[in-house]
Amino acid sequence: MSAVDYLLQESAVGYGLYQVVNQADTIGNRLKEVQEAALDLAKFGKMVKLVSFAPFKGAAEALENANDISEGIVSEQLKALLELNLPKGGKKKRVVLGIVDKNLAQSIKAEFPGVDCETNEVVQDLLRGLRLHGPKLLKQLADGDMDRAQLGLGHAYSRAKVKFSVQKNDNHIIQSIALLDLMDKDINTFAMRVREWYGWHFPELVKIVPDNYKYCKLVLFIKDKKTLSDEALHDLAALVEDDSGVAQSVIDAAKVSMGQDISETDMENITTFAEKVTSLADYRKTLYGYLVDKMAVVAPNLATLIGEVVGARLISHAGSLTNLSKYPASTVQILGAEKALFRALKTKGNTPKYGLIYHSSFIGKAGPKNKGRISRFLANKCSIASRIDSFSDQPTTKFGEVLKKQVEERLEFYATGAAPTKNQDAMKAAMDSVLGDINVDVDEEEAPAKAKEPKKEKKDKKEKKEKKKSKGAEPEPTAETVSKKRSREDDEEVDEEAERKKRKAEKKAAKEAKKAAKEGKKEKKKSKA
Amino acid sequence: MAFTPRGGRGGGDRGGRGGGRGGGRGGFTPRGGRGGARGGPGGGRGGGRGGPRGGGRGAPRGGRGGARGGARGGAKVIVEPHRHAGIFVARGKEDMLVTKNLTPGESVYGEKRISVDAPATGEDGAATKIEYRVWNPFRSKLAAGVLGGLENIYIQPGAKVLYIGAASGTSVSHVADIVGPTGNVYAVEFSHRSGRDLINMAKKRTNVIPIIEDARHPMKYRMLIGMVDAVFADVAQPDQARIVGLNCHLFLKDQGGVLISIKANCIDSTAPAAAVFAKEVQKMREEKIKPSEQLTLEPFERDHCIVVGKYNRSA
Repeated sequence: MSAVDYLLQESAVGYGLYQVVNQADTIGNRLKEVQEAALDLAKFGKMVKLVSFAPFKGAAEALENANDISEGIVSEQLKALLELNLPKGGKKKRVVLGIVDKNLAQSIKAEFPGVDCETNEVVQDLLRGLRLHGPKLLKQLADGDMDRAQLGLGHAYSRAKVKFSVQKNDNHIIQSIALLDLMDKDINTFAMRVREWYGWHFPELVKIVPDNYKYCKLVLFIKDKKTLSDEALHDLAALVEDDSGVAQSVIDAAKVSMGQDISETDMENITTFAEKVTSLADYRKTLYGYLVDKMAVVAPNLATLIGEVVGARLISHAGSLTNLSKYPASTVQILGAEKALFRALKTKGNTPKYGLIYHSSFIGKAGPKNKGRISRFLANKCSIASRIDSFSDQPTTKFGEVLKKQVEERLEFYATGAAPTKNQDAMKAAMDSVLGDINVDVDEEEAPAKAKEPKKEKKDKKEKKEKKKSKGAEPEPTAETVSKKRSREDDEEVDEEAERKKRKAEKKAAKEAKKAAKEGKKEKKKSKA
Repeated sequence: MAFTPRGGRGGGDRGGRGGGRGGGRGGFTPRGGRGGARGGPGGGRGGGRGGPRGGGRGAPRGGRGGARGGARGGAKVIVEPHRHAGIFVARGKEDMLVTKNLTPGESVYGEKRISVDAPATGEDGAATKIEYRVWNPFRSKLAAGVLGGLENIYIQPGAKVLYIGAASGTSVSHVADIVGPTGNVYAVEFSHRSGRDLINMAKKRTNVIPIIEDARHPMKYRMLIGMVDAVFADVAQPDQARIVGLNCHLFLKDQGGVLISIKANCIDSTAPAAAVFAKEVQKMREEKIKPSEQLTLEPFERDHCIVVGKYNRSA
């Protein structure tokens, strides 16, 4: 490896380009010496020489550059600096530029073919020296300039980070589901208070109308029970869903009620409170509608599969839809049961079967023996649905419907032994219906450009099919023993996962998928912690 | 939270302290022994604070509840420097760890403030007040470590500190107090939500540089940071040793100090805590950090420890 000619240092005040003057041939071998020399300003000053310094002209420019550098992009300023000051490297005499970041190295290489970028340990040590002595080597800098620049840039950079949030839409879901849960609780306690309070006046009403909301409505209508007469029957019935039987019994009960009389001011207070409760309950309804709408936009498949509320809870627990989609299905399965999980891990007991997804109706439908199985199956499907939602460009509920049907069939299988549709067929049906939609679009818009895409995808699927066949070469088991079936199921899940990933990769750039997988790993670790 | 320094001072003859503090107050005396670290808040209400307060409690202070512990108002407080520069101990009814408030008159997270007369330095002899903020070891692991008797914390006035896992900036504010206006704290935090609070805190303290970025990628914020004297990490991630290593290689001076707070549960919830700590220390060694001290934060946190080390670049 050839020695380093130049060093690039990015700092908060600007870019500095240094030439390595004292370039011993053996520089690479003298790691330790470089390190020690780097500590001493006098020695280090002899080793490098400032070639050029390109200060940022303002806070905005600095921020722009900071963002570029953090993404490994060569900004205009940097490009200009390098162009001006680096000698044009020929084929024989390459210029070696030492920098700290590998990503930036690639970008620079793309811009300047004659420049080799080096990021090895020696360079790192030299750059550490620059970081240490940099402010002193730059003669124009006054004391404290660097600190001020760092402070300003740090604030600007961080503010921009906070302002820019990828998961804007999820935030609203997370907040509204939290509010919904809170309101359920509060409305219940408030309604209990109304019943308790009004119960002194008209204790029989609770028995006749146990529903909280209707009760509050009735309180508002009846007020003082003495004023209730037979003529009110019709209006009363309107409040209890036109059940004249209930309405009549309310009137009858009011006549013979054993409750105490109530003064006007007391009644006024009760009605004010009851009004608040009913308006809260009304608001809860609109909020729920809002959540449903929002889920239909953000996570349509997940919502179709498991319901808006549970889906929203999953998202809220994971932090965002993206986070949820990065979780493995096993994590989704016990999301919300962390306490039980870690207790089980610590005591080496049984891990929980389900967390938040317990509230889905599927689990309740399954027999006690199959709850764990269906929970695992459902978690698998949820994880698939959330991935589709998170990474697809066009929202569709087609996959959610198919996944839901699969879960239902699985339930049926556990109950009666009826063989479910093969996963392959189910997914194919879903893909076909989705592709059908896309094809329509294509015909309308840019037929030649996009026409290739579906074809390619179909081809891909054929490949997958073949792969699957070879993998599932063993005779297709019919519903004989559950355990056998289960193992097949597990296999299929793996296949499905792979298939999904492939599709994802097609939709998004390959790089992004990689990143997601990486992030997912991290998230996994995090969630474990 | 109006602090009324005068209230207590007026009744100078309260005499409540009664000299009963005794010597056994671990913790604050240098090298006070680990076991005794309890001495401060919470524990250690010795004798000698009885009678004199009895009758007039609360009344002169506008009926504020008298039950609060600590040295507010009522008792006379003496602030002494701690063994570590920049940290102080307020000796009142109870001893408390305090730091000199960089922004007098303001609390960051609702902590209590104490102001005392500075030794009259002005020529006209006017007594100036110095305000200190109470540093709660139950909330800050660094404070717990200091109370536990860490030998060397590397965080001192004028130092530049990289603080990884800054969260909302509560502990960071104390670190900023310690390093003072000549030092710098680079506070790295990943979460946007707590980053918001961090930025707001940093607005008031100009020696704090907030960085909202993933500490796993120090390259991303390399432009914002100069060389630092010490790294403090409280990230509670399974790969925290790696995170700390990455940051040290880029930003930490040779022979600079490293403090890592380790929560055993976050790294491996099944293994016993001691084994986890040992494993982490080993990982630190591989990152060229030479561990010098390990201290459990026992009375304050469960299964936590702080490991102090020195970064040895050329090792």
